[in-house]
Amino acid sequence: MAVTSIHPFAQCITCHAWSPDQSMVAFCPNNNEAHIYRLVEDKWEKVHVLQKHDQVISGIDWSARSNRIVTASHDRNSYVWNLEGSEWVPTLVILRLNRAALCVQWSPKENKFAVGSGAKTVCICYYEQENNWWVSKLIRKRHDSSVTSVSWHPNNILLATTSTDGKCRVFSTFIKGVDAKDSKKSTSSDLKFGELIVQLDLSSSWTFGVKWSPSGNTLAYVGHNSMIYFVDDVGPSPLAQNVVFRDLPLRDVLFVSEKTVIGVGFDCNPMVFTADERGVWGFVRYLGERKIVSSGSRYGSQFSEAFGKFYGQSKQGGSNDAVETSRTRGAVHDNCINSIMPLGERGILTKRFSTSGLDGKIVLWDLENEHDLLEL
Amino acid sequence: MATTTLRLYLTCIRNTLHAAMCLQNFPCQEVERHNKPEVELKTSPELLLNPVLICRNEAEKCLIETSINSLRISLKVKQADELENILTKKFLRFLSMRAEAFQVLRRKPVQGYDISFLITNYHCEEMQKQKLIDFIVQFMEDIDKEISELKLSVNTRGRLVATEFLKQFI
Repeated sequence: MAVTSIHPFAQCITCHAWSPDQSMVAFCPNNNEAHIYRLVEDKWEKVHVLQKHDQVISGIDWSARSNRIVTASHDRNSYVWNLEGSEWVPTLVILRLNRAALCVQWSPKENKFAVGSGAKTVCICYYEQENNWWVSKLIRKRHDSSVTSVSWHPNNILLATTSTDGKCRVFSTFIKGVDAKDSKKSTSSDLKFGELIVQLDLSSSWTFGVKWSPSGNTLAYVGHNSMIYFVDDVGPSPLAQNVVFRDLPLRDVLFVSEKTVIGVGFDCNPMVFTADERGVWGFVRYLGERKIVSSGSRYGSQFSEAFGKFYGQSKQGGSNDAVETSRTRGAVHDNCINSIMPLGERGILTKRFSTSGLDGKIVLWDLENEHDLLEL
Repeated sequence: MATTTLRLYLTCIRNTLHAAMCLQNFPCQEVERHNKPEVELKTSPELLLNPVLICRNEAEKCLIETSINSLRISLKVKQADELENILTKKFLRFLSMRAEAFQVLRRKPVQGYDISFLITNYHCEEMQKQKLIDFIVQFMEDIDKEISELKLSVNTRGRLVATEFLKQFI
């Protein structure tokens, strides 16, 4: 089994992030605080509690090189936390939002971060030396509904967003004075701030969990209609693939390599999607073990009826209860998984990652022994 | 036969609820610093999903309305005659008045239905999804039984009272 360890931290976890050396984890236990735990001799110890927000924290990200934490909350604010001595000191971010902040992510160079919000805008924040605060530039009037997730392209300029209006968009976030001219050499030359590069209208329902592949060539996001979308050649003529799966919708995805994606969501069990040699994406299998349930009794009601009659009286009354509960009991998480974070060296291949969900557990996974997946 | 169709009806509701109960925390887009069940407000049409209506027959149906952070289940219970009608009304009113004790019960049923449940993302965070679904389905199973038992006891009592009353004329 790919699970290495399970850590029940809280009643419910909304988001989590790892310190650069992965000795500490920061998460929000579904309230206005962020807790930081450190692993001391195989035991997790609470070392810090970040208290500044006054509503539930919806997003948290820990920068890998500069060792800064950014949090975003439903109270419309965001803070950048710096470790000074043994204390985490918050710096205010002028988000200029009038609705909740929903998600946050550091850019690859860590000089900017993006905050998606319920005000149908995206804030790109950067540090202003003179005033000692983080200021933001807003991308307005592009989204028709709340922005549910943001993801930075490795080039530090492009930003992908998903929204509850069912669309996935890619923007340029070039800010004069923050981004050097040469960094936009790779993309087209005349990208202004907030310019819409592409708008993908593939989903008929809300979209979540957008991610770029390690090289930045492929974009993946999920729809609430139990679909996952893969987009190649993001630009004027993108190539899109839709993959339908039979279980409950996903919430977040993670590229473990260019050709392998792990999706997590309402089904409480990570799903693996891979691309074959021709670049065609498909569902492979579940990552966690689950009890084998005969497909007949899982779906067809008439079938289970007939089966019940065959196998005697044991299936009376709650015939479906037994079947249904075993579906979730087989998995490691008991409730919806809402975030997945990579672990280990950030490179082309991620073998370890962690998931957290509404059941309050953080589960560590290792693909080392999953030979069928690593060969792909 | 009746139990078979009831089982199919309940299985259908169970499977629909399983698919519909994919809720998440979602702050209000219209009002600052608020968090409300979108299915009740209906201010942003894009946050609502298509409602599902499951009918066993004309008298018994179940409406499932879903939004991004909440889910509303409305039931219409079978009422064959006037007595059942009165009993259902009284009994479900009794339950609705004690809605806090049930957590997921709505204080007022949706128009055209006898009783409604409102499930939000907070319920899904605290309770197991499967148990919630079991509760709803169990409730639907029991309500019919309860009503017919009540009807039976009303009839028995009526007969008893009538017998006692008519004794004086013998």
